[in-house]
Amino acid sequence: MENSSPSDNTMVLVDNLTVTFGENQVVNDVSFNVKQGEIIGMFGISGAGKTTIIRVLTCQIEKKNWSGNVVVTGLNPSKKRNHSKILSNIGYVPQLELLNLYFELDPLKNVDVFTSTYGMNKKKARETAEKLFKILDIPEDTWKKRVSRMSGGEKKRLSMAIGLIHNPKVLFLDEPTTGVDASKRYDILSYLKKLNQHLGTTMFIITHDLEAALICDKTAILRQGKLLEFDTPQKLISSLPSGGLVARISIENLDQKVIKTVQKFNSVKNVLRVGNETIEVLMENFENNLPKLMKYLYENEVKIYSMSRDIANFRRFFQIRIQEEEEKENEVIISKINSEGVIKS
Amino acid sequence: MLRQIKKEFQLLWTDKFNIFIALIVPPLVVALLGVTANIGGSTSNPIDCVLVSYDSNTFINENNFTESNLDDYNAKYVEAVNSSNLLNLVQFFNATEDIYAMETARNYLTSKKIKIIIAIPVDFSELLTWGYPGLIDCITDSSDIKKIQENLNAVYDSIKIFVNQNNLTPQFEVSGFEEFSIPEDYSFTYNYNMVLVLSFMVIGVGMVSTILIIVQEKPIARLLLTPVKRAEILSAKYITYTCILIVQDLSLVMSALAFGLYLVGSVFDLFLALFILGFNGLAIGIFISTFSKTKTQANQLFFGVFLILILLSGIFIPIDAMPIYLQVIAYALPLSHGSPLITGIVTKGKSVFGFDFFTLLGVSIFLLITSYIIFQRRKYEV
Repeated sequence: MENSSPSDNTMVLVDNLTVTFGENQVVNDVSFNVKQGEIIGMFGISGAGKTTIIRVLTCQIEKKNWSGNVVVTGLNPSKKRNHSKILSNIGYVPQLELLNLYFELDPLKNVDVFTSTYGMNKKKARETAEKLFKILDIPEDTWKKRVSRMSGGEKKRLSMAIGLIHNPKVLFLDEPTTGVDASKRYDILSYLKKLNQHLGTTMFIITHDLEAALICDKTAILRQGKLLEFDTPQKLISSLPSGGLVARISIENLDQKVIKTVQKFNSVKNVLRVGNETIEVLMENFENNLPKLMKYLYENEVKIYSMSRDIANFRRFFQIRIQEEEEKENEVIISKINSEGVIKS
Repeated sequence: MLRQIKKEFQLLWTDKFNIFIALIVPPLVVALLGVTANIGGSTSNPIDCVLVSYDSNTFINENNFTESNLDDYNAKYVEAVNSSNLLNLVQFFNATEDIYAMETARNYLTSKKIKIIIAIPVDFSELLTWGYPGLIDCITDSSDIKKIQENLNAVYDSIKIFVNQNNLTPQFEVSGFEEFSIPEDYSFTYNYNMVLVLSFMVIGVGMVSTILIIVQEKPIARLLLTPVKRAEILSAKYITYTCILIVQDLSLVMSALAFGLYLVGSVFDLFLALFILGFNGLAIGIFISTFSKTKTQANQLFFGVFLILILLSGIFIPIDAMPIYLQVIAYALPLSHGSPLITGIVTKGKSVFGFDFFTLLGVSIFLLITSYIIFQRRKYEV
């Protein structure tokens, strides 16, 4: 895991952040930093603490509830006097457009509402809006129509434009692809990348959509308030056994018994069920051991339909990492139960 | 079907405050009506009056030009008024010595301190002594036509007592003079109803237009992630709706006058009265909106609050006839001041700046400050 060390172009620095509500610790000693122009993806299942971290960074959580050193665009959100400056420096795109847009107004009037809060000149704001609308392919004929009449995708893109309207140093996006159909998800991600390239805005995405890692320079994986990983997706994948090489095997009558048989093979590190009859296998010394695995399966009367080799993607890395963490926790629980003598009694 | 009903109940149960309002407020209103009508409303309070006496207890005998003292029926009538349960003698003026007596009494009438001026004419005692029918002048507050007869009845009650106490022939003539009544070429019905409608309307419209402005504006949470201050958001709402209120009040005043409202006071005073009433409506609406968590809660609260406002406004049951604790609440509610404030300007020509105006101002400032505090503490999360 990369250490969080501040430098001049650090946009977000989080050092030993712990967030507690009452007796409930929702974020536990999290550290990372985000440099200028980077796209950071923070991944985790619900309850991982992603939203809580973003709320600390966007001055929504009172200092009494968190500890640690946090710096956003060079300013510390623990001091109330910094809030206004931080909020001027950042943009925010919430998960639901209805929280970010006045549906009764047209897109340009929405721009006026939000830019006025930053004290922006109306003419300049409209110019920026038009530039953003063009990058985001928001049709010109919708600019003066009520937002309520726009399509879901257009609203999503308009919401992004509103988040970027004041040219923030960091843009926080909460689940930008949630609620968007599969074909449009990639469009949204490519628009984000396009905006990042055109404007150089640092982006901080929190999501459980693992496809978002495609556009991320760095990815963070959170689980139960703990930061498990923080690095580039490539580095994380290459940290897998054999640099992330996987064998994708389709097996007849695939069940838990067969999976256990595969797991028993010496060099196998991880077995992931990725389909009804398909598993992906990661192992040490992939090139040498793959033929041996095939032979082993044949000897154990496992009937193979097909086999192909591939490089693991971020989704696989995430699954493996979470799986490992769950296994560790289960071991801890079992040993605790044993030590307390519950099983014996 | 049963599952659907169960689901509806489950959904309903998620907003317990809403259930509380829906189930508690209506019986509360009925109870309130019961309390005000049964406890307070069963007995009517005596009507405040003053007595202005021009009666001199001396006269000059026309036949022999000698001065004689007569029976002092003047003092006896004062005693009769004091004995009447229907009248409350606030003050007695001896106009034979105090030349400003009637002027002071009229000021009392204008300022709503009294409802009746009973004037005893100069030859009151003389006429009674010689066996002529007695004469009494009576000036009643006629701004409320329903009360004129009530006022006169109270005066007749005092005369009845006076006649019985002094063994007089029951021949009496009461000359009634209506003060603040509507001239014949104006419609009394229009004037009377308009005074009621105006206060109801401005407060009601103010409330309706603002009860949802905070609770239903979803992007407020997102706006708070910009440098904008909460106070700015709330102030912007107040200013915007105040502008609407000014236009609304101007149009109301103009249309009311155009359709024949008899206005004794100034147009500006009437406008200002409507403005302060409407501002109270806004303040209540915004207060409800900052306080409510859901739209349903806001709607329920609006309904409950408006019912209580009407009930304790003094229109159904006179405020003075209510138990003291309800009187305190009633006087703190804006609608109770609406009708007296507008009536004072419209029919009596009073200035807007009086007890009612400053009470309304105080209430609206209190609601405004409370709304700011609630909004400042309201939790918003994106």
